[in-house]
Amino acid sequence: MCSHVIVCVHIPRFELAVAAGGRHILAAGPVALAPEHGREQLIGEASAAAEAYGVKAGIRLGEALARCPQLKLVTPDPAGVADEWERLLIALENIGARVESDRPGLAFFDAHGLRNLHGGTVEGVIAAARRALGTPARLGAAPSRFAALAAASKARLRRSEIAPTKLAPYLAPFPVDLLSLRPETAALPETLERFGIRTLGELAALPRAALADRFGTAGPLAKDLARGKDSPLKPRRVAENLEERLELPESASGQQLERALGLLIDRLLARRERRGRPLRAAVLGAKLVEGGSWRARVTFREALADPRRMRLVLAPRLSELPAPADALRLKAEGFGPPTGDQRTLLAEPAQLRAARLREAVRQARAAAGPDAALRILPVDPDSRVPERRLALTPWDP
Amino acid sequence: MKGPRRLAEPRPATVQAADDGRPQTVDGRRVDAIRESWLIEDRWWTANPLRRRYWEIVTADGRNLVAFRDLERNRWYTQR
Repeated sequence: MCSHVIVCVHIPRFELAVAAGGRHILAAGPVALAPEHGREQLIGEASAAAEAYGVKAGIRLGEALARCPQLKLVTPDPAGVADEWERLLIALENIGARVESDRPGLAFFDAHGLRNLHGGTVEGVIAAARRALGTPARLGAAPSRFAALAAASKARLRRSEIAPTKLAPYLAPFPVDLLSLRPETAALPETLERFGIRTLGELAALPRAALADRFGTAGPLAKDLARGKDSPLKPRRVAENLEERLELPESASGQQLERALGLLIDRLLARRERRGRPLRAAVLGAKLVEGGSWRARVTFREALADPRRMRLVLAPRLSELPAPADALRLKAEGFGPPTGDQRTLLAEPAQLRAARLREAVRQARAAAGPDAALRILPVDPDSRVPERRLALTPWDP
Repeated sequence: MKGPRRLAEPRPATVQAADDGRPQTVDGRRVDAIRESWLIEDRWWTANPLRRRYWEIVTADGRNLVAFRDLERNRWYTQR
């Protein structure tokens, strides 16, 4: 067997199960994820009962309801899904796996270096992954990423599938629908099925030039995948969980939300774990008052540690919130290299004083934590409930 | 309430009240006068409604205090 063995972890309908509050809801009847607020009116993942009526992810809401009038719609919860998926990825990383994951519910890792840690076999690694996940998942292993995905699709929730070394004959009977789980080839299965090409074996037999002519770069890629060839894994860097959260008992919107965002930015920047590094990207999330959640990822044009500039970038995104929020959260997604404050050539007394003050605050925080220097921020100054009016936030001189 | 520290958080208080709900002693201090009383109801549409009867009082030793009875939990608090 080839030295690299890719393990695929596939949890079907993961987003739907999290948003619905558990997998048992999926068994109760036809259920599907409602379209996201402010997005195109396309439904998300659908339960097996809904699929039996012809309801599939990506079809229009009106069409889905026409096909299945008793379809129950579940409010999407992108923030909850991201949290739960992150928890599972960390569980996999805790067994030593370097994980690649482009979407919730689907992850890959190379079992090569882990075999000695977990009984010397791939089966041992899969068993360790299953224990770490603690939730029913389909696990498959194969020498390539796509073949591992095919193996996982054949596996059962409690029985894993390990593909043989010769992949082309193994993959041949699988349906072309598997290509839809890969972003680059997601558009191909529908067209291929209209042409009468239903299996990967039939796809692999097509001439490469014809596929390139019809589908562009996705065509030859699909042929390579069908023959068991795939690019190497690109595992993610182990993420640091640096997040601040603020509950908003008065279901905030507008100016209150901007003040809350300012407070979250101050607190995030004051966290000791940041170690002087500016933020390259951040995720702004909210729990909505009418149920569900909202999430937006913002990448800064340059790494930032200036609360005013961060506010300028993040505040406009709050206008995208589809409903008042019950809670607001801000998470650091990526960091730039550590930077120091550059001094001006001609130091002025005011700047010198400000620099000394900053240094004093930095030393106080190093000794006593982020709460060492605080200022009062009016979060909701007009609230009738006194404790909602003012909050303490880290002071940045 | 999670997240950052808030100011003016309610503090549990020991209050003796009359039958009509008026506080008579607050943390052992006799109430001399009641300046104002008001009711706050909020989030009644959620599973965690907020219902408070506030009393602004002057104690016998001359302190101005704001106390409220949490009508959901039947407990007394003081608040600055």
